[in-house]
Amino acid sequence: MNILAALWVFYKKLIFPSFAISVLLALFFIDSSKFLSGVGIAYVFLTPSLHFLFYDLSRPKEYYFYHNLGLSKTTLYLNSILISLIIGIILLLI
Amino acid sequence: MSGLYVDSVNKEFGLNQILTDVFISCKIGEVIGLLGRNGAGKSTLLQIIFGALKAGHKYVKVNDKLIHTLFDSRDLIRYLPQDSFLPIHVSVKTIIAIYCTSIQAAQLHELAFIKPFLFKKSNELSGGEKRLIEIFILLYGKAKFVLLDEPFNGLAPLHIELVKEGIKAAAVNKGFIITDHDY
Repeated sequence: MNILAALWVFYKKLIFPSFAISVLLALFFIDSSKFLSGVGIAYVFLTPSLHFLFYDLSRPKEYYFYHNLGLSKTTLYLNSILISLIIGIILLLI
Repeated sequence: MSGLYVDSVNKEFGLNQILTDVFISCKIGEVIGLLGRNGAGKSTLLQIIFGALKAGHKYVKVNDKLIHTLFDSRDLIRYLPQDSFLPIHVSVKTIIAIYCTSIQAAQLHELAFIKPFLFKKSNELSGGEKRLIEIFILLYGKAKFVLLDEPFNGLAPLHIELVKEGIKAAAVNKGFIITDHDY
């Protein structure tokens, strides 16, 4: 349960900026009929990139908070990619 | 052997051999001091024991369990790095809930110097306040062995005394390895 809470704390910081940028990208570059698909595809690729910017470049020491719970950098990246994929696929299917 | 047992640790950065065949052990109830000059490899050793840094070679065991990765050291070893590691925009109460069991969290909530910060977010705390909270979530956490890398840095003298008392009290059922420059 603590691990899930920690993963949520880690991931929730990425949701709003990823989603906002994805919507903007889709607005500018995607045909309106494929808007949600565009948001979904952008979200899948943006989230891991923002993960890298937020954590690896900006606050690398924060990783220790998660390391103390047994979560390695690889696990956190896989978590980011997996959740983004799920959200992206849902947006593609809508 | 019971306790934390570390042997044959080697680490090099490029051509610079930092650690050569290091041995260290710690039992429940012990507080081990790791002293040395800047750049001697104290933090590197702690990170290797914890599993956050790869070594050329290492043998780390807690009781009968071999520790290879961070996942292996989960709930057995916790590490306090030199710099603050608390996630920003998260309340102290949430952080305590993630790190501690409900009983441990209730005990922490009652501490006079933690109580005022419970509903503050980590980015609203001063460096010393963050340090104090980081140390106490590790002291009250589940792990049997705690590695503290220069824990007294940035703490007010009054808080240093609180931390020393906290370590002594927690050492009843934990083992500590501490690095420090004040010796």
